[in-house]
Amino acid sequence: MSLTSLLRGAALLTAGLLLSTPLLAAARTIDGAYGSVELSGTPQRVVALGENALDAALSLGIQPLGSLASRGGSDVPHYLKAKAGTITLVGSVREPNLEAILALQPDLILASGDLPNDLYAKLSLMAPTVVPKGGTFQDWRQTYSTYALALNQSEQAEQRIAEIDTRIAALRERMPQDQQVSVVRWNPQGPFIMSSHLFVGQLLQTLGLKANELAAAQQRKPHSDIISLENLAKVDADWIFLATLNPDGRKALDDARQQPAFTRLKAVENDRVISVDGQIWSSSSGYLAAQHILDDVEKALAR
Amino acid sequence: MPSRLSLPRALGLAALCLLALILASLLLGAGDVGLWASLQALLGHADDEARFVVLQLRWARTELALLVGLALGGAGVLLQAVTRNPLAEPGLLGVSAGASFAVVLAINLGASAASLHLGVATLGALLGCTLVLLVTQMRGVGEDPVRLVLAGAAFSGLLGALSSLLLLWDQRTADEMRFWIIGALAGRPLDTLSWSLPGLLLGLAVALPLIRPLAALALGERVASGLGHHPQLTRLGTLLAVALLVGTATAAAGPIGFIGLIVPYIARRLVGSDIRRTLGLSLLLGPCVLLFADTLSRLLVRPYELPVGVITAFVGAPILIAVIRGHRLPTL
Repeated sequence: MSLTSLLRGAALLTAGLLLSTPLLAAARTIDGAYGSVELSGTPQRVVALGENALDAALSLGIQPLGSLASRGGSDVPHYLKAKAGTITLVGSVREPNLEAILALQPDLILASGDLPNDLYAKLSLMAPTVVPKGGTFQDWRQTYSTYALALNQSEQAEQRIAEIDTRIAALRERMPQDQQVSVVRWNPQGPFIMSSHLFVGQLLQTLGLKANELAAAQQRKPHSDIISLENLAKVDADWIFLATLNPDGRKALDDARQQPAFTRLKAVENDRVISVDGQIWSSSSGYLAAQHILDDVEKALAR
Repeated sequence: MPSRLSLPRALGLAALCLLALILASLLLGAGDVGLWASLQALLGHADDEARFVVLQLRWARTELALLVGLALGGAGVLLQAVTRNPLAEPGLLGVSAGASFAVVLAINLGASAASLHLGVATLGALLGCTLVLLVTQMRGVGEDPVRLVLAGAAFSGLLGALSSLLLLWDQRTADEMRFWIIGALAGRPLDTLSWSLPGLLLGLAVALPLIRPLAALALGERVASGLGHHPQLTRLGTLLAVALLVGTATAAAGPIGFIGLIVPYIARRLVGSDIRRTLGLSLLLGPCVLLFADTLSRLLVRPYELPVGVITAFVGAPILIAVIRGHRLPTL
């Protein structure tokens, strides 16, 4: 009895060693925003700071141990909630909690492209910290591939990106011609328009949809300042995607509909306003977010 | 001290100013509808877009500025009279912060109806007023105007911390709450005016019979009692009026600071410190100052806008410093 269990233990140990050796071989260098990061093997204890990193990890079949509450939310973004399962919250996007991150003993930290330098300095003492280059205006494929490389899942990531590309190519055929779109956030303080150079704008553009001029002019900031209602016509387009950070998009739309300046818009008069989840449409990027956005666009626009 | 104006002259001047600022508020904006097109729209000759911008958008916020300015100007004079302190201002003393915190709390607890905000904000303002009154009764504070402001700053800080706490607690309402930290006149729901007008009228109705007792109170408690007034009753009534006015203004446009400081300051310089003279004038000057600030808020960062609360703070802070620096702090 005791001999068999001993033998079984030895067998398991050998198998474990055999399995882990090739992983050690997978050494790679990641060219990040704050210099290069050396990694080897497949990380086992990943902390994904921000929805982009969490989206990437989950879409590649990796379960991070910890993540951040999204902007304007008290949990991970709604669309990732089911996949993320029981995940430890280690602060909010605005304020990551360093002690909570350390307590998870990560072997890899994935941070978003706009992580400040001083925070990077502290995080990289805890574990190799990957900050993709180019911030939020980077081509989303680049950011996604950087995370994938860090997670040792590059091949799978290429497949994932190819899936999105194939879907876009098919969907593009079914898009109406020469249509202009804008993505607007409606806040109690007033509306602003999202830059068309971010993740969502990149997707919409590859679908053959044209960006609103004011959105295209936002080349440095993720969105415009709060727009005067007198100038609301500047956010008009053939289609308006109305995003809100609160999960129930209806409320923002109802608020907006009370404004005569809003109901005068061409898109509103033609009933072409679509309320969408702002956690995806204005803050996220990645494979899972892309699928959601393509779902929304397909449902609203595809012929 | 500049030579004082006679009251009718000052009132006439303020009324003229108000008319000019109403006109400016209708003619100037952050949008493409310029001065000439706006004038045409007022006369009914312009295209659809210009008419909409002038007669709906600018008209609505002008009306709201009138209401909020009136309420805050009046509240400022009343609060200064009852505390006998030229620095007593609803924003500085935490009365506005009390009102907006009450609204934030209500939203957090799930109340979304805008008309409900009026009652909640008034309650919050009343709480703030009561605290102010209690602080003025403390030894030493009555003689030194700056101490009351310090107490108010502490109170505002406390409420700010509580609001942050609520934000941490429930971030879902964060977007909605940002509005209650710095006020604005643009983009308020159209029915705002209709539900806040009764609050304003009620506040003024409570204040009206208190003017003479307040003037008597300025001469000292004994004199007021000797003239047959009830100092405590007067104080309570005045605080109720201030709470109604500040609650109404805050529910309608969020917290807008310094109007209640700037307006009585100008009024006193024009006609002296007697509340029987300053209150009427302040009711005209309140909308003037707010309209001026609001028009400025549309022009400074065109084609965007600033919340008007930012502008009033910029105008008000130097005046606050001027009052504190004044060699002789005018006692009321």
